[in-house]
Amino acid sequence: MIELKHVDKFYGRVQALKDVSLTAGKGEIVGLLGVNGAGKSTALNLMTGYFPPTSGTVTVDGVDMLADPLGCKRRIGYLPEQPPLYDEMTVTEYLTFVSRLREVKAGSVPAHVKDIIALCGLSEVAGRPLGKLSKGYRQRSGVAQALCGDPPTLVMDEPTVGLDPRQVVEIRELIRTLGKTHTVVFSSHVLSEVQQLCTRAVILHGGRVAANVTLDKLSDGAFTRLRAVIAMQEKRLMPLLRELPGLIEAKAHPGRDGGKTECTLVFDRESDPSQPVHRLNRLMAAHGASILMLVPEQDSLEALFLRATSGEEGTP
Amino acid sequence: MTAVWRKELRSYFCTPVGYVCAGVFLALASMFFYVRILQQHSSDYLSFILRMSYIWMLLCPVLTMRLFAEERQKRTDQLLFTSPVSLTRITLGKYLAAVTVLLGIVLLTGIYAAVVAVYGRIFAGEMLAGYLGFILQGCAFAAVDLMISAMAKTPIIAAVVSFGVNFVLYVMDELAYYVPGWAGDILSFLSLYSRNEPFIMGQLSPAAIVYDLAVITGCLFAAIHILDARRWRKGA
Repeated sequence: MIELKHVDKFYGRVQALKDVSLTAGKGEIVGLLGVNGAGKSTALNLMTGYFPPTSGTVTVDGVDMLADPLGCKRRIGYLPEQPPLYDEMTVTEYLTFVSRLREVKAGSVPAHVKDIIALCGLSEVAGRPLGKLSKGYRQRSGVAQALCGDPPTLVMDEPTVGLDPRQVVEIRELIRTLGKTHTVVFSSHVLSEVQQLCTRAVILHGGRVAANVTLDKLSDGAFTRLRAVIAMQEKRLMPLLRELPGLIEAKAHPGRDGGKTECTLVFDRESDPSQPVHRLNRLMAAHGASILMLVPEQDSLEALFLRATSGEEGTP
Repeated sequence: MTAVWRKELRSYFCTPVGYVCAGVFLALASMFFYVRILQQHSSDYLSFILRMSYIWMLLCPVLTMRLFAEERQKRTDQLLFTSPVSLTRITLGKYLAAVTVLLGIVLLTGIYAAVVAVYGRIFAGEMLAGYLGFILQGCAFAAVDLMISAMAKTPIIAAVVSFGVNFVLYVMDELAYYVPGWAGDILSFLSLYSRNEPFIMGQLSPAAIVYDLAVITGCLFAAIHILDARRWRKGA
């Protein structure tokens, strides 16, 4: 499990991450979404201990990255955006080196490397120098090195970028397979990829978490969006709304009549899409506020992403 | 640490770097051997060692330029710095690989000693003291140049800056001569070549040994902190 708590990261005077908190629990496949420069690679580099946060904490399986960096790094395999390959080495030599680096026992290294080569479909090119491999095989070699030492958590930065459609399908299949036995965090520009593979998506925008949503494969693929007019002043209403379970986005502005508030609320996916309506009704009834209008709608991940990355304030 | 050491050692001999360094060293050393020993029918092996020690100035930048600068340029440092290996062990592994190649080259110069021993007269004690200084000097240059590689963005920059710094270390005595007062004394004290003069006279000087070891330790310590500081400052 990886957890970022209130993490800020400055590059000189530029703030790349602003109060980012996110968790990738055991057995989850978490997708980091965002436009270029949103802070995805920075977040992944922090998770893997490549560099430390300016403030906030990064923990891996409950261990603080600053207190025990080597202990944390033992638990994480990392595929950076550009696979860290030594071109003069063959695939087998490279994976042997990484296995030794990741403290695999000397006697077990050959068998360990053989298993990883088979799992990543690299058997055909095992004896060839990395510098002479195609982009797809290089990417697979990058994934393979992340598996050396059998870390329980895998972090990958845009693992399918620049690959042809067949290679994209192969790498996705590999991630899906790995997701059954590992916690996986990866970044992507491709919404459909995240939707297909992930149990959860975190949308970063301008260095902030703009949305953190569950992608339950059993649901119908949509989030519940409620447009409502409530007879309560905005200042009083918003803190109440933020307590609603499953709320991932809330926008509000006062109605023409000062006593009313018009709001749009987006809820995470649930097996019963009517649950958010009941919750809002109960909350308003408990505070004696009337719901003057309520329109439930369905929202897609794409719509959510576009709104979250449009630059408007919209976090709950 | 051994994983890094093995990888670096392997890369010296998978690429032409190791062979070129050994070849160039032996070519230059042979030239000195011909001029100082064969042509003059001399057994003055220490003066030959002194001439060979100048080659470190040219060779060490080539041996060390790739060690960190290339990792940074090709972004393979992301693998090293996210592995469960401390910066100290990574730095030591890389340094020891360069020193291993350096010692291999020193071993090859044994052939000159053998020639002198067969056809002339050699004083084993003097020669061993000379070799100790020769090796320590090479290790000190390697440490200085490794530190520069840790600072540089590309291997070429690392090599050029290392050549410059090594040259300054070489001419430090000359500089000291022109700098008056205590500043000149300090420059003279710090000179890598004049500090090692006792070895070239066949003496085993504890002060010179401590000086060389201090240079090596100081530069490796600085390299580790340069790498760590870069992680804190930015991370690339």
